[in-house]
Amino acid sequence: MTECLLCHRPLLPQLTLWQVLNFQPVEDELLCQTCVGQLEPIPVDQACTGCGRLCAKKYCSDCLRWQTPPNFKNRALFRYNDILKQYISQYKFYGDYRLKNVFQTQIKREVERFDADLVIPIPVNPATLQQRGFNQVAGLLEKVETTDGLATRELVKRQPQSEKNRQQRLQTEQPFVINLASEKFNKKRVLIVDDIYTTGRTIRHAATLLQNAGASEVMGLTLAHG
Amino acid sequence: MQIEQLFGRQILSEQLSVASSWQSQLIRRPAMMVTDQWVICQRCGQRTVKQTVRLPQGDYYCPHCFQLGRVTASQWLWSLPEPNQFAVRTDSPLDWTGELTAAQKACSRQIDEVFTAGKTHLLWAVTGAGKTEMLFYGIEQALKKGLRIGIASPRIDVCLELAPRFQAAFTSIPQVVLYGEMKRPYHYCQLTICTTHQLLRFYHAFDILVVDEVDAFPFAADPGLNYAAEQAKKEAGALLYLTATPSKALLRQEKQKQLTVSYLPARYHGYPLPEIKLKLTSRWRQSLAKQRLPSVVKATLKKMVTQKRRFLLFVPRVSDLTRLQAIIQLQFSALKTATVHAGDVNRHEKVQQMRDGVLDCLITTTILERGVTFADIDVIVLGADDAVFSTAALVQIAGRAGRKAEFPEGLVAFFAEGQTRAIKEARRQIKFVNRKARQTGLLRGDTHD
Ligand SMILES: [Zn+2]
Ligand SMILES: [Zn+2]
Ligand SMILES: [Zn+2]
Repeated sequence: MTECLLCHRPLLPQLTLWQVLNFQPVEDELLCQTCVGQLEPIPVDQACTGCGRLCAKKYCSDCLRWQTPPNFKNRALFRYNDILKQYISQYKFYGDYRLKNVFQTQIKREVERFDADLVIPIPVNPATLQQRGFNQVAGLLEKVETTDGLATRELVKRQPQSEKNRQQRLQTEQPFVINLASEKFNKKRVLIVDDIYTTGRTIRHAATLLQNAGASEVMGLTLAHG
Repeated sequence: MQIEQLFGRQILSEQLSVASSWQSQLIRRPAMMVTDQWVICQRCGQRTVKQTVRLPQGDYYCPHCFQLGRVTASQWLWSLPEPNQFAVRTDSPLDWTGELTAAQKACSRQIDEVFTAGKTHLLWAVTGAGKTEMLFYGIEQALKKGLRIGIASPRIDVCLELAPRFQAAFTSIPQVVLYGEMKRPYHYCQLTICTTHQLLRFYHAFDILVVDEVDAFPFAADPGLNYAAEQAKKEAGALLYLTATPSKALLRQEKQKQLTVSYLPARYHGYPLPEIKLKLTSRWRQSLAKQRLPSVVKATLKKMVTQKRRFLLFVPRVSDLTRLQAIIQLQFSALKTATVHAGDVNRHEKVQQMRDGVLDCLITTTILERGVTFADIDVIVLGADDAVFSTAALVQIAGRAGRKAEFPEGLVAFFAEGQTRAIKEARRQIKFVNRKARQTGLLRGDTHD
């Protein structure tokens, strides 16, 4: 007997009417109905165009303020609520790699809607990768063809903020470097994927870098917003 | 790392260095065994199909015990043999001055023999038998010999209830209490009180290990519990299981001669267990949805309220709690009620308020089925036929009533749409132990002479 990966309640295989009507292949269920029921999907037409959060207007108040890069758009699949926090904690921090499978099909479907030339996962730094044993974003994207277009940057030795000029400061904050020759990005539509959009700083740093490398359009997709 | 942190513990790491004088004693075991098909975790004993837990670089991990820090096949479990760095003493460390009944005394002696002989034993004692006090004599003897003792339970609540009682009984013995959410760090002590989950951090540590409420969720059906207990105690150490409702699996071990069993069918105060009254009610959830109580339930509550009885009201699901509370408040506005469930952060305060008499009624899920004692209460279960109520749970719930000698009686009423196997079995078990207690002369003589 199998059990729900999050709450350990026994799983009873169920064929939904939706699966029958859509001739969907029946996948092995990984979460129980109770846990699935607690997920809060964000419908595209009810989301902020800028950051992807649930929002009645086209742009939320955060995104109306000045954001870099200004034309960046992020789509988020779920609200970062208790059940998603539990999922992320068990997957990423406790390192339960089996959880990568839970959202793979949904993410694949979503990625295809972007019709991007390149799909790039946000990288994790080598020390974390060594300790965790996997990149959680790459795990989510296992069913999608991806390009390792970004790498993490060795952080510059700490220096008091006041001694840095603006250029230096921006450089220190930028956590990534381009991992490929920049021709690869030239005139390409690029989709960056991350697990959570919180302040947007991480994914927007990556977007700036790829735009500067010549990408024609850079978009974002995250599993959660919050 | 302080060297004592390693005594009888198992620390997960790729490398570990200790002072050179201890180096030769250091035990290093692979954290996982890898076979063609399986990986077997050496910390929790669970095996897993290898392919389902493979990491990208080819390592494997254990998906069963990651809450304690993830075990991978490339790591080692490090430990130092338990050296018993505790004083041997001639004076008694026992400060408890209570009296045991003759039946408790007999059990207490038997426990001491189990401890001395290093046996594995099950003490099957009814709810309210006074199990903890029966342990004191054997533990007193063991402490005098400088032995290391562990008291474990699957439930945090049980651990938190036991800890102050042991501290009061053995005031001079330092103790450490270990459970998942605790803030204070581990330290080396002669007396450890912990959840059974925390036992996975020990390796051949305890001369005596007691596992209380061994049948409680979530370890009731967990084959890992045996492994954890066997690993945590010394190879020649004693293992004592305590329960009022042993599982079939545990009783099977007696037949296989893996353990011995002793039996105490009477409460310490010598009054029988209150028997279960079953009342049938149909579609109680629909009634609640219409802001109504089923008429039989309402009649029972009304009677209790007029007689000023305080009570626990058990329901199957968290979602039943507030709805029921709202209706009860509407019907009995003077009644002071609260709800509790496993995720309730104020659980311990509410339980204390019920104890102090601030509350008249606590509406709860199975979380309060065991480990908590209230004086002079009635017990009601709504939806007793729900699958969450196992036989063990129902016997434990019924066992909340009549626990104090001053108030040995209490109403136990189950409301259900029909009699399930679990209800039937729970009623049978309670009748059976009462009969057995009467036969063996453990009950007080009939009161109406
Ligand atoms: Zn679940
Ligand atoms: Zn926004
Ligand atoms: Zn394990």
